[in-house]
Order: sequence, then structure tokens, then C-alpha cells
Amino acid sequence: MTFWQFLHAKGWYLLSTLIGGWPQTAIVALGSLVFALIFGLAVALLRLSPWRVLSWLAVAYIEFFRGTPALVQLFVIYFGMPDIGLSPTPLEAAIVGLGLNGAAYLAEIYRAGIESIHRGQLEAALSLGMTPLKAMQHIVLPQALRTMLPPITSFAIVLLKDTAIVFSVGVVEIMALARNLVTETLHSAAVYLIAGTIYLCMTIPMARLAARLERQRQAWH
Amino acid sequence: MLKLPQIYAENINRWLPELLWFALTTLKIALAAFVLAVLVGLAFALLRTSRFAVLRVLATAYIEIARGLPIVVLLYIVYFVPPQLFPGLNWQWFTGFTGAVVGLGLHGGAILAEVFRAGIEALHKGQREAAMSLGMTPTQSMAYIILPQATRIVLPPVANYAIGLLKDTSLCSLIGVNEIMNDAKSIAFADYQPMAVFVLVAAIYFVMSYPLSLAVRVLERRLNVSR
Repeated sequence: MTFWQFLHAKGWYLLSTLIGGWPQTAIVALGSLVFALIFGLAVALLRLSPWRVLSWLAVAYIEFFRGTPALVQLFVIYFGMPDIGLSPTPLEAAIVGLGLNGAAYLAEIYRAGIESIHRGQLEAALSLGMTPLKAMQHIVLPQALRTMLPPITSFAIVLLKDTAIVFSVGVVEIMALARNLVTETLHSAAVYLIAGTIYLCMTIPMARLAARLERQRQAWH
Repeated sequence: MLKLPQIYAENINRWLPELLWFALTTLKIALAAFVLAVLVGLAFALLRTSRFAVLRVLATAYIEIARGLPIVVLLYIVYFVPPQLFPGLNWQWFTGFTGAVVGLGLHGGAILAEVFRAGIEALHKGQREAAMSLGMTPTQSMAYIILPQATRIVLPPVANYAIGLLKDTSLCSLIGVNEIMNDAKSIAFADYQPMAVFVLVAAIYFVMSYPLSLAVRVLERRLNVSR
């Protein structure tokens, strides 16, 4: 059967099967995004902390997680953790792995955003009697958000694309189903091209959104 | 409790030479893909700024698609799809290594095309016109005026891309290329030591990529000062 004949005969079957993996892809992407957004903020605040030890720890964390591939980090968590008595499920390993990895990148985005706000803002808040954390929460972060939103959106796109590696630790998402379909039908061409199209339908609109946010941000300045 | 120091003391003599040998393959893939990405990137940056609308649309489509696909998916498409679409041709030469280089190179080409375009557009047209009006030939104005300035804009993002590329080569293990990650898997599961082996591999990647990222930071500072 040629490619076109096969696509005509089995196209819908392939598409519907692959879309069946979409919820798992979305859960991994959203779960690790939330994980990274929260944990990354903690790392960024430690990084900016006046205590040397804390900021040094945060730097070590950021450098290590940005200096090694996400795939290796996933393998350490999924295959390595059982050696120290923890056995994460594939989904937990994927969310924690991509989340820890993403936190390192987000920490740098947060830091750049926080540093873009004039120090006088923080000092004014402190002189009004706010604690440093309150000042961050009510004065600095809301203003920094405008600067941070475009890079955070770009980060979310990268994260979504990174979910395509979590089949390697056993999460049954789009790519895992694609590999199963290839074993089943022996037609890798149709399967991977459809899988690719599904990813493009998610990433291209997000990229448009990121570009629009960036233009708006520049218009503000 | 896992005693990592003891495990390393017992096994490092076997593990490290083997892993480093396969790290060479990783470096070879990265280097070849980098060269390909620069060439593809230059070509598409020029197409993207071309006078002909058709070429601009084609270039934009390529860039959007190659950047929108997860790298793993692009690797799978590049490696598995062409032999299936054209089964009549001879695909003996199309090894996992070649597929990996082409896949990563095509992805990088799309990223670098945008970097190069930004570099070209950042330079005012007047620069070239001024150089020509001083009596420089087009080649001279390119060599002494345009390229030195464009390099300064383009170099840091290109270097950052190279660091990302080095880490992305780990994905080639998923299409079966025998680089460091693939070898690590076979050692880890043969010796029942996944934690120790994968942490060691992470350390090797870090040793390869961290000096590069320090170099990029120095570079960025220097280029900023001289501006």
C-alpha cells in the first residue's frame, strides 16, 4: 500500500488514536508548568537572597539543571530513584523531572523580571514597613509580571514540546501511542507526520500568542 | 541506602572510559549538526529577506514548522519517514547518525535563520551605503563594515544555541544512535546501577556544557562593553 492509499484508508483511525494521547500530554505539560512556576519562584527568591549560602545553592541548582539534558534528569528520577527507595510512577517522574528542569529556566526569567523593577520600589515598600516577602508579593512581582509574561509564554511552548520525550519513562502520551501505532501498522510515515501535525496545532498558535505579548510589552515601554 | 562513592570506586574504571568514548560520538553529532544548522540558517535567513514573496512564504513556513515541532518528533520524521515514502531508493547510507545530524541540523537551521535575520535587520542600510560611498567594493563593505557588526549581534545567541544543541543530542538515543545516553542505558540496566550511571552521565554532560556557557557569558560581557 502506498503512503496516500494508507492515509486514505487509515487516516482517521491514526488521528483519533493519537489524539487519545493528548490528555496525558496536557497533564504532563500543565503539571510540570505549575510545578516549575512555583518552584522556580522559590529558587529565584533564594538566588536574590542576601544570604550567600542560599544564593549560592540556588545558583548551583540553576547551573546544574540548565547544564544537563532533561532526558538524563528524567532517567535519574524514574530509573534512579528506586535505588534510594522511591518509586515514582511514569507520570510523577515526568511531571517532577520536567518541573525541576523548568524551574531552573523560570528562576532566571523571574530574576530578570524582578531586577527590571527599580530598586527604589522595593526600598519604598520596605520603608512603609512591609516585610521583604510582602513587598515582593504586593509591589515588585505584580509590576515584573508584565516583563515576564512573554518569556514565560515562550517557556510554556518549550515545555509542551519537551513533553514529547516522556514516553521514554513510560508515560502513554502522543509519542508513545505513535510508536505503538508504527509497530501495529508498519507505516511510520503517516503516523509520525500526523503526530507532528498535532504538535504543530498546539505550538504554532502559542507562538503567535507569545509574539503578540512581546509586541504589547514593547509598546508599553 | 545507596553508597554512591563505593559504587563509583568499584566501577569507574569500567564505566568512565566507555562513556567517554561514546561522548565522542555525542560531540561528533553536535559538531556536524552545528555546521549544517549554520548553513541551513544562513540560506533561510536570506530566503526570508528575499524580494520574492513565494520564497519568503516558503522560508517562513519551514521556520515555523521546524521550530514548532518537538525535536524528538522531527528526529522521528527525518529518520523514519523518507525511507517509507521512497522505498525504491537506496537507504543503506542513511544511518541513525546521519538521521540525527540531519534532524538536529534542520531544527537548528530554523532557530539560526531567525537569529541571522535579526542580525541582518539590526544593521541600518546606511552602513553599507556609507561604506560604498567611501569607495569600498561590495565585498570590502561586507568584510570590514557589515560582518564585524553583524557578528557582534549574532554571536551570543549562536553560542547559546550550540549549548542547547549539545544537550539535545541526548535525544538521538531515542532513534537508536549509539551515543553516550544510549550507552549509559545499556550499562545502567546490565549492571543494575541506574542511579549511579545516570548521575555520572549527567556529570559528563555538565563538564561538556558548563565551560561553553561560561565562555558565552564572558563573550556577552566583552561584546557589550565594546559597543
